[in-house]
Amino acid sequence: MRHTRFFAAVSMLALLAGCAGLHRGQVRFDRLSDCPQQTADELFAKQSQLGPSSDTHTLECALTVLRDSQDIALLRTSLGSRLCLHLAERETHTEKREKLATEGVDLAETALTHKGEDEGAVHYYLAANLGLAVRDHITVAMKNLGRLESEMKQALALSPDIDDGGPMRLLGALYLKAPSWPNGIGDLDKALELLEKAVNKHPGHPLNHLFYAQALWTEGDEAVLTQVKAEFAQGEKLLAEGDWGHNKAAWQKEFDAFRQELGGVMPVRQ
Amino acid sequence: MRKTCLIIASLLASFTANAAPNPEMIVVCYPGGVVNAKDANGAMSAMLRVVERVGQWQANSFNSLFTAKSDECRQQMAEKKPKFAITSLGLYLELRSQHNLVPVVQPKIKGHTSERYRVMVQKDKYRSLDDLKGKTLGGTVLEEQTYIGKIVFVGKYDLARFFVLKKSNQAIRALRALDKGELDAVILNAQQFGGLASLHLEKPLAAVFTSEEIPLMGVVANSATTTAEERTRFSKALEGMCADTEGKKLCDLFGVEAFAAVDPAVFEPMVKLWDKGS
Repeated sequence: MRHTRFFAAVSMLALLAGCAGLHRGQVRFDRLSDCPQQTADELFAKQSQLGPSSDTHTLECALTVLRDSQDIALLRTSLGSRLCLHLAERETHTEKREKLATEGVDLAETALTHKGEDEGAVHYYLAANLGLAVRDHITVAMKNLGRLESEMKQALALSPDIDDGGPMRLLGALYLKAPSWPNGIGDLDKALELLEKAVNKHPGHPLNHLFYAQALWTEGDEAVLTQVKAEFAQGEKLLAEGDWGHNKAAWQKEFDAFRQELGGVMPVRQ
Repeated sequence: MRKTCLIIASLLASFTANAAPNPEMIVVCYPGGVVNAKDANGAMSAMLRVVERVGQWQANSFNSLFTAKSDECRQQMAEKKPKFAITSLGLYLELRSQHNLVPVVQPKIKGHTSERYRVMVQKDKYRSLDDLKGKTLGGTVLEEQTYIGKIVFVGKYDLARFFVLKKSNQAIRALRALDKGELDAVILNAQQFGGLASLHLEKPLAAVFTSEEIPLMGVVANSATTTAEERTRFSKALEGMCADTEGKKLCDLFGVEAFAAVDPAVFEPMVKLWDKGS
């Protein structure tokens, strides 16, 4: 299940074989005729402006340009994979969500074959898309756990600080949620270490606090209950006060779900 | 049974939203596990959908309720009075009279329907179990102390008096503590013992105690609320699971070759040992 580098075409094939079970096929977008005329160069220049706060139509237009592009400079970036992730996270239709996430995996793999400068980000978005693509399919998810871990480790090694400590947060969450040894790669000690580090180095991201609270809660030690509450409250405050764009609603659901799991421990949100 | 529980427990997401109007509740008890119920029911859902199809029940005829705590398991068994349950051997032995439980199927793993437990120490630090008197013993299986004392140690040791017990919900954490010398010994089930090579611990470990073969526990039924036909049907469905295309994926994933109908005689020695210590 583990550790493949993805430069040559041969390893690319091996990789795709390793992702068996993913839902492939491009999702068609509406209103493409309303998209502004954009060249690959223009899209490359404004890639940092495309994110959680961009409206969905803008992201769809950008992805359409990228889909049709042969521009190596553009294809070697993490942009395609990142666009797919944002669109997939907003998609409520399961099959479409999985197709978008799988396209994000494929675009990241393409970027890796061209060796871009932001390789860490490419691994990061590859892992995030892969996680989203398999999360509702138990056997596929289990088969891809090693791949997920490998991608996140590479992202962590190359670009630990992107997306407010995203690689630490994602890898920590993976170790927290995955089946634990000897059944899987789940490891509460590793999860606690990574998520504590994410909170300390990037205290401004709400999910760093939420996931750390979840890890502390899983520890099951009454002594850390105060800390669980504090991390949860801090994360929720950051979410309420920050500009998190389209991510806000989805993240709030995560907080609400954990509040429910905590039962009477946390006060009900007003 | 631990393996069966692990199959279920390892995967686990609530599926109550798509349940049939009056699904039959199956209580799933996995004492000592670190998994949460929300996660666990996803795996149960996948398994039950296959069982329903293979056994030709209507989809969503079964639902599951998962717990990793022995006390909660006792409570749920009393409240829900399930026709079928997935329990550890310890909980089966304890609850069998109260709920008229009879074993229905056992998992077969690497050709075996039984397992051995081992007490592991740092190599050469201790030579025998008797050397561990008054020493610390950790492990996830200590969630079921009575079972370990009566069945695994065949009633020869009063666990709480002989050892200083350090219960853990993570086997890997207990083994790391053993590696650092923070624990003197750790008790492992067969699956955990089989996974030791993947851990890359600094100190070599050795077993100072290996139990007799102990049958793996699988699905049990309440013999007062189920008919022989219902039990046979459920058993056949599980026996067919690993031969089913979808079911095989789940079986393969967790190393279960098959589910086998139970020979009740296999559990009789366990029942005698349990009752002897009462």
